[in-house]
Amino acid sequence: MSNATKPAHDFGRFDYVKLAPLMGGISVVIMILAVVFLATKGLNYGIDFSGGTEMQLRFDKPVDSGDLRTALEEAGIHNPGVQRFGSDTEFLVRLETPKAATEKETNALIKQDIEKIKTTLQAKFGLTEGGVLRVDSVGPQVGSELKKNGLLAVFYSLLMLLIYIAVRFDYKFAPGAIICLAHDALVVVGIYALLGKEFNVQIMAAVLTLIGYSLNDTIVTFDRIRETTPEYRDRGLKFTINKAINDMMSRTILTAFTTMLAVVSLYLFGGGVIAEISFALMIGIVFGVYSSIYVAAPLILVMEKFKRKTA
Amino acid sequence: MIESLRTRWIIIILVTVAGIIWTVPNFVNTDKMWWPTKAKMVLGLDIQGGSHLVLGVDVDSAVKKESQRMAQMFRDELPKEQVAVTSVEVTDELRGAMTINVASTADVEKVTAYLERIFGGQTFNIDEAAGNAVRIEFGELHLRDFKSKLVEQAIAVIRNRIDEFGVAEPSITAQGTDRILVQLPGIKDASNAKDLINRTARLDFMMVYRGEEANPAKLEELIKEAETANNIKFGELRYSQYVDKINEALKGKLPANTLIYFEKPESAETLAVGRIPYLLKTDDVVTGDRLTNAQVSMDQYGKPVVHFAFDPVGTREFGALTTKHVNENMAIVLDKVVKSAPNINEPITGGSGQITLGGGRDMNASLNEAKLIATALRAGALPAALEQLEERTVGPSLGADAIRQGQIGTMIAALAVFVFMLLYYRTFGIVANLSLILNVMLTVAGLSALGATLTLPGIAGLALTLGMGVDSNVIIYERVKEEMSKGASVTAAIREGFDRAFSSILDGHVTSILVCFVLIYFGTGPVRGFAVTLVTGLFINLFTAVFFTRAMFDLMTNKLKIKPSVGWGAQHV
Repeated sequence: MSNATKPAHDFGRFDYVKLAPLMGGISVVIMILAVVFLATKGLNYGIDFSGGTEMQLRFDKPVDSGDLRTALEEAGIHNPGVQRFGSDTEFLVRLETPKAATEKETNALIKQDIEKIKTTLQAKFGLTEGGVLRVDSVGPQVGSELKKNGLLAVFYSLLMLLIYIAVRFDYKFAPGAIICLAHDALVVVGIYALLGKEFNVQIMAAVLTLIGYSLNDTIVTFDRIRETTPEYRDRGLKFTINKAINDMMSRTILTAFTTMLAVVSLYLFGGGVIAEISFALMIGIVFGVYSSIYVAAPLILVMEKFKRKTA
Repeated sequence: MIESLRTRWIIIILVTVAGIIWTVPNFVNTDKMWWPTKAKMVLGLDIQGGSHLVLGVDVDSAVKKESQRMAQMFRDELPKEQVAVTSVEVTDELRGAMTINVASTADVEKVTAYLERIFGGQTFNIDEAAGNAVRIEFGELHLRDFKSKLVEQAIAVIRNRIDEFGVAEPSITAQGTDRILVQLPGIKDASNAKDLINRTARLDFMMVYRGEEANPAKLEELIKEAETANNIKFGELRYSQYVDKINEALKGKLPANTLIYFEKPESAETLAVGRIPYLLKTDDVVTGDRLTNAQVSMDQYGKPVVHFAFDPVGTREFGALTTKHVNENMAIVLDKVVKSAPNINEPITGGSGQITLGGGRDMNASLNEAKLIATALRAGALPAALEQLEERTVGPSLGADAIRQGQIGTMIAALAVFVFMLLYYRTFGIVANLSLILNVMLTVAGLSALGATLTLPGIAGLALTLGMGVDSNVIIYERVKEEMSKGASVTAAIREGFDRAFSSILDGHVTSILVCFVLIYFGTGPVRGFAVTLVTGLFINLFTAVFFTRAMFDLMTNKLKIKPSVGWGAQHV
């Protein structure tokens, strides 16, 4: 073995476990903050979840979003949401779902509004027929159902993972992994609440992917802990965890780096939906690495202590 | 792991060839050439542009209507069975729960016997039959069956309508228990399609008005007047719109409770060329949604006829109508077009009848029309109201932009990873990159073979697959380096590295695959597309990142006697 970089400890370069209580505290604070943001600011749900109508428009020449909003309000559109989309020529226009007695009347009103917007913008800003890139209209029923399905998906994902980890590893590993995943999901969703960025079905997919990705990280670390344990049983769990994390460090950094490389490229060049998903993934990868080291692994220690106390 | 290197390579070559076979149709037009498969990935509406509608079927209202209808049938029919019915109360419309109150215990027995005879113990569950009342409700199975039939029927009707519209490859599928998803690629404005869907095939049996006013020549005169007065031109409007406008214009000029529909005579090609107006009564109508069956058969002269049969309720209603109007003409009206107007010679109480198409035309035309009518009758009117829950329209230009950007993004992402792996891992990096290319190709092939839909989130899923592929390679190589730094030879380090890394890789993949299955189950549209791509990629990654790379290294070290370079951070012994 080369001794050029002599490790500071016999388990490796860095004592991760020593910092665990501090980091654990920070994690708890971050999670509380995320919950607070969610509770106070709330998520800026896209029309997928909240219901409503959204149009993506492209003009032949640059248009000021303020002018656009004024023109729409003058045309009698109630509280239109106008948002630049990438450039000065592309815009998202969001409409509230009008309240009417029946679904049919609501639909008629939505159709009316869309027509009104088209004719107004055609007259005032030279919008062409081909400039209407996309029209999405989601009923409130579908939206709330999507929310429910999303939560159910998270719940069942976690449940299945809990069972898998308990069976494949040890029950004392399972809570760490699950709390770690909940932590990651909560942090990403919390950041979305903080930034007020739109949370739509695609972002939900990204969050669920992160659960999978971060889990992969955690599992790889756990796997190493499991493998290291028999060899160093007499040195205790603290030592084993430290050694496993240190041994895995190069892999953790390399993987995070290459994935980040790909995700950043997608964020910069992918555009539209792909860029949105990539943004969520970028946040998630950073926290995924952090959490599998500082949330998942130390929780095994906590479980171990808990077990000894009850035993 | 299979020990024989030869066997492993044969498997790899076979899989690669299969991969190429299924990948090629996505990039090369195979229509004109011989190729084993034509299957390719379907592009999602967010990529190729089109309309996406989610329609809710109002199942509850249909069940309520059915409950009330059944109750009415009991009120009408039971007295005929000598049952002294005092009242029939519907207690829960959504479950068809009702109480049949009768005069005596003997009547209760008669009611249960009647139910047994008519429904064979199928439709209704008898909850209680005691004292002077029978409490019944729809059986669980019947209710579920009734609801799923409603949705199925609605899908059949919508498909008919859309086909008429001439959309290439429309997809009309049930979503959940009471939703219908309609996807129309290439349709930019969904409002036409929606109108079409809502214009349902509707069959009515209506009585022809008897009187002076019903004279065709006189009617035609009135119509001409209305046309010029209101500037209604037949050719410019769809038939149904034309008929509505004419009737609107003639309000007051026609006898009360009547309207005009037209028959297309056998000799005429279209309604615009020749038509016969009918004055029909709007009261005393039996609708076609009570039909249980309709099929084409031949009459004794060898001419095609459409046979139809009613369910018990329809039989009763149809019987009542034909009894009341013996020796009158009954018009069979499909979508406001009079198909025929035979004379009712005697009451038809048996619950079946036939539509004669008349002669004059060639056999094939008659047969085709008979088939059309039979299909329309079976599909019938929309059995329940539809409400639009979601509509998404993507213009083709957005799709084109999005896919081009997505492609560029994916290319750059892949290139960045490839270059990094090559620089960092040298020979190992080449193997890793080969495994990644193979992974992407096989994933595309797999998705094509499955006929999966590629959506934009699906492209992101593909990118993530690449990420997992890189991770698997990194886990293995870092392990190999570790073994080498412990003093193992390259060959031994590779063997150890693969063996020890495998459990990590497997666990990581299994857990991600589990999450994907949850997503496929709960997700809709884009989310599902994402999960399907990812899950396919993950399965394939187990093959490319473990099986394929291992075979590559074994080939290098055992057969070719090459010592691969692991790149930075390794201590060679």
